[in-house]
Parts: sequence; structure tokens; C-alpha cells
Amino acid sequence: MKKKLMAAAALAVAGALALGGCAGAGSDAGGDIVVGSVNTKSGAATFPEASQAAAAVFDAFNAAGGLDGRKIDYKALDDKGDPATATAAARELVGSDEAVALVGSASLIECELNAKYYAQEGILSIPGIGVDTGCFDSDNISPANVGPFNDMTLTLLYGSEELGLTDICVLLEIAGSTRPTYQAAIDRWTAITGKNPLYIDDTVPYGASDYTPYIVKARDKGCKALAINPVEPDAIGQVKAANAQGWDDVTWLYLTSVYSENFAKAISNAGAGIYVPAEFYPFTEDNDINREWRDLMTKNDIPLTAFSQGGFLAAKHFITVLKTMKGDITRETVSKALQEMEPIENPMIGTPYHFGVDNTAGWPIVLGSGTHAWEKVADDWFRIPEN
Amino acid sequence: MIQGALAGLAAGGLYAVLGVCLTLMSRLVRVVNFAQAATGMFGAFCAVWLVTHAGFPVWAATLIGVVIGGALAAAIGWIAATWLSEADVTTRSAMTVGPLLLLISLSFILFGNKPQPFAPIIAGPAFHIGGVVVSQVTVATVGMAVVIAVAVHVLLTRTSMGTQLRALSERPTTAELLGIRSRPLSIAVWFTTGIISALVIIIIAPSQSNDATSLAMLIVPAAAAALLGGFRRLDLTVVGGLVLGMLGGLVAQIDQVSLVRNFLPFLFIVVLLLWSQRKEVWDAAR
Repeated sequence: MKKKLMAAAALAVAGALALGGCAGAGSDAGGDIVVGSVNTKSGAATFPEASQAAAAVFDAFNAAGGLDGRKIDYKALDDKGDPATATAAARELVGSDEAVALVGSASLIECELNAKYYAQEGILSIPGIGVDTGCFDSDNISPANVGPFNDMTLTLLYGSEELGLTDICVLLEIAGSTRPTYQAAIDRWTAITGKNPLYIDDTVPYGASDYTPYIVKARDKGCKALAINPVEPDAIGQVKAANAQGWDDVTWLYLTSVYSENFAKAISNAGAGIYVPAEFYPFTEDNDINREWRDLMTKNDIPLTAFSQGGFLAAKHFITVLKTMKGDITRETVSKALQEMEPIENPMIGTPYHFGVDNTAGWPIVLGSGTHAWEKVADDWFRIPEN
Repeated sequence: MIQGALAGLAAGGLYAVLGVCLTLMSRLVRVVNFAQAATGMFGAFCAVWLVTHAGFPVWAATLIGVVIGGALAAAIGWIAATWLSEADVTTRSAMTVGPLLLLISLSFILFGNKPQPFAPIIAGPAFHIGGVVVSQVTVATVGMAVVIAVAVHVLLTRTSMGTQLRALSERPTTAELLGIRSRPLSIAVWFTTGIISALVIIIIAPSQSNDATSLAMLIVPAAAAALLGGFRRLDLTVVGGLVLGMLGGLVAQIDQVSLVRNFLPFLFIVVLLLWSQRKEVWDAAR
């Protein structure tokens, strides 16, 4: 008897699933609008805040009545930093959940793996934080942030042009196929300034226990400044390794990945200063520009980081575009609206957001020795000049 | 070249200390303790938490953290002594993988997966050799490795407690029949190595990548160091740790081979195994 019941239940569930699958992405019945994101929430390097921030924005949007009563159903999946999981997650969101768009993703690997699939399915993605190369060279993906490659150009430009540093060395932590893209970012700096790095070391490992040998090598070569692209824990290791060597006159040119309260707390001796071109308006400044983001994050207990700024902005941009739409909300209409959108001005970003247009502005900030706090070192955005 | 090698010494000293702990455990309580670095990491994280959230002074928090590290190791030792006292080395060692994973997960849950803001107990350069600064941390870890190895050697060969410990590890049943109480002794060994691991990790953590996984996985190079001494000889373990650290520093200086640095401990292990098994014939080695 029990077995029969189970079988009947299983059949019913299967039937329901099949029916649900038949209601295609094109049929707009006025139900929830499904929006997805693929994130690295667990694994070696994690970016959980972006999708949390996007979820908070969507929750607030739903609580305020949604889009004429229609709610956004936001599904944020974890790819664990694993390629198989990342591709499966994309197929789950796009294929079975019938998402109309992807918003607020932040993954170490997802863009490059799924860009072709998104193109094939005609879906667009606004990552909160674009990390890998694929986020910045696909027509279907346009992140809310500057990204590590433009950020690398910015940090080099700031070091050589604003701080007047010579003998800048570049140390790269390479994941996947990012090496040529970083080289292009360095070449762009060379094209603008005519300067070259003293040397490039692309063998710096992710998550090494001790960076002393790399720091010693850089010092031996006569580097005055180091431009590096590490994740936060590694950056702490690198600065501490230089501290232990008594190398106190080195200038650090880092990327937004190290811009956090946690990092500022961990570093006492920052050499001649740790400079970062922040991808969004510096959140360590308490003023009106970040107020809405800050209040929402604090209310939802989400860490105040550049990553949560990215997720917040991605969701905001998406809602702005959604509100301009007339008629059906389907994958096709959403993609069309995003491609034809008017650029969105927002004081949190230096380049107005427009799907498919690169963000090329960072706000220079510095962490000085003994301050344990990030400070602005400019009154306006620092931009990559058009060349 | 020499500069690079010296730069790797701090890490080498750390591997040597942990390697000595591993050797000690394998000799005296018949176990390869995979959680050796993890218990230390957890104790160290507790110390950081006490400083940042409970406002303890650094020295007091360090002391408590070290004791927590020792207590955790003792707890694992108690499990091994209670339920696996008659089990073989493989089983007892496999059991320690559980606490390793548990402690990493638990520290993610309790302290998050970000590196911790360690307040350095020892920091800055100690002296210069040939243009390379030898940091105080290097002096501390290398010193610790040598001192601990010597102290353990003296304890085992010159004291009655050492004799009892040796008896227990070599003839457990006979020793029990003679009235040597095995459980308290073996738990004491666990506790001691737990204390040492926590202490060395608290010393090294401020100048290293100090998230839970990096610290807990220090067990790999430590095991490579212990392997040079065959998990029996303390002197060779110390040498192994220092050599491994220096090799790491050395290959990082040479662009052509610096990629090797990430899996240097594994290479070290493979080469040692091939060398130590070189005379084995197929039938016997199976």
C-alpha cells in the first residue's frame, strides 16, 4: 500500500515538473519574475556578499510592492569555485527555472565557462562583481564593477602618474586563463605612459603560506613599488612578509580586492602606503552617496565591502531598467531593454552604467602605516584616459 | 641564491617544529596526527577572538589559546586512547582526519573564512646576513625546532618517564602488565604536542596567510619533513623541515622552476618515498 502511495506521489510530482517545464520562458502569465545568479560562495576564494546584497535589494523592492504587484524571485546558486558545478548552476537557472536575466553574480570562474551558453540562450547577465576574463569580453555579460584588469591599469597609472613612482614591479597571482588579459592591462598602461614595469613575476601562488621569497626577490631587483592582484588573505601575507624583512619604504599598488575594514585592521605597517583605486565610491566614507547601500546592508547584516556594493548596484541597475519596460516581462524583452537602456548615472560609480560599456574609473584611496583606516586621497574619480 | 634560501627559513622552522610533533606522536602514541596543525590553528583563532571581541591583553589570550590548542589535541588523544587503543597505526591516523575537517569547518562557522587580525608577539628583523634580513620569527621558529628536538631527545633517553613512554609505544601490553598507566601518559603526549603546535602557529600566523585552511594544511610540509626522519628520527626531521623551507625560498627566486614551489612538499615526499623504497622488491613491497 505504502509503495503504491509513493509511486502515485512520485508520478504526481513528475507530472507537475513536466507541466512546469512546459510553461516556457516566453509565456508571461503575470507570475513572479525569476532572476538568477551564479556565485562562488564556498571554496578557496569566496565572494558571497554580492548576491546577498542583490537579494536584499530585491527583497526591499518586493516589500514595496514589486513591479505592479509582481515580485522578483531571486535564486542565488553556489558554484563552489568548481567548473562542473558552475555550468550546472547556469543550466539550472536558465534552463529549468526560466530566469529572465542573471543579476548580481560574483564568481571566480563562471563568466568564462557560461558566456557561450548565455549567448545561445539569449540571456544577459549583470554580475555584481566580474572576476574572470570572460566577464569583460562577452556581449552577454556586463558587470557592475570595474574588474581586476582595468583596476590593474588604474593602479599602475596612479602609481606612475600621480605618485610619480619609478621602478614599479608587477606581481601576478594567475588563476585560469587570466594571464594574457593582465598583460593587456599592463600594455595599456605602457601605451598611455610609455613606461614599463621593472619586471613581471607571474608565478606568485594563490594562498601560499609564506610570501617572503617573492618579496625578497622583488627587493633584490630594486623595486620601489609593487603592483599586485591578490585576494585579501594573500595580500596580508605579502605585506607581513615585507614587514618581517624590514622593507619599510615600499609602496603597494593593490586592487579593490583588498579594500575592506578587515584588511585595514590586519595591517599595522603599510610601508610607504597601500594605494587602491576603489571600484566604487569608497564605502569607508560616511556620507550620503553610500547611505542607502549602507543602511540596507546594515539592516540585513551583510558585510560592508566593495563586493556588496557591486551586488547592490547590479540589482539597482536591473530594477531601473525593469521599471522602464512596457508589456510582457520575458527573457527576450528584458534582454532587449538592457541592450537599449539609457546610461544610468549613479554617484557610487565613475562611469555611468550602460550594458556592454566598460567601467574605467576608480576612486583612489590609501591605507597608511599605523592608521588602520582607509582614507580618500582624491576628490574625484581617477580615470583611464582614452587613447 | 643564498638570500632566497634564507628567506625560506622561517617557514622551514615552522615545518620542523610541526614535523617534530608528528615524529613524536608517531613514535610514542603510534599515530600520524593529521589534525596536528588544525588544533593549533583553532587555538590561535580562539586567541585572536579573545583579543578582538573580549578585550583580553595579547599575552593572556595567547596563553588561553595555547591551552585550548593543547586541550583539543588531548581530546583527540582521549578518543584514540579510549576506543582505538588496540587499533593499528593506520586506523588511529585515519581517525585524526575527522577532527582536521571538523576544526576547519568549525572555525569557518565561528570565525568566518577570512584571515584573522593576529597581533604579532614577535615581529621585525633580527639581524642581517648578506643583505638578507633574518626576521625574529625565523630565529624563533628555528630555535624552537632545535630546542624541542633536543629536549624531547633528553626526556626520552634520560628520564624514567621517557623510558615508560618508550615502553608503551614499543610493547603496550607488556607495559600495561608492568603497571605503567598508558592512558594518562599518552594523553599527556597529545596535550604537549598540541601546546607546541598552537604556540608555533601563534608565533608564525601574523606573518603568514592566516586563514583556517592555509594554517591547517601546514600539515603537508610538516609531514614531508617528518618523512625524512622516517617518522622516527628527530634530528633528521628538523633538517628536513629546514631544507624544505630553504628549497621553497630558493625555487621562488628562479623563474624557470618557481612553479614547482606550490607542490614542493609533494615532490619532496615522492622523492623520499622512492629513495627509501629503492631496495624493495615487488613481492615484499606489496
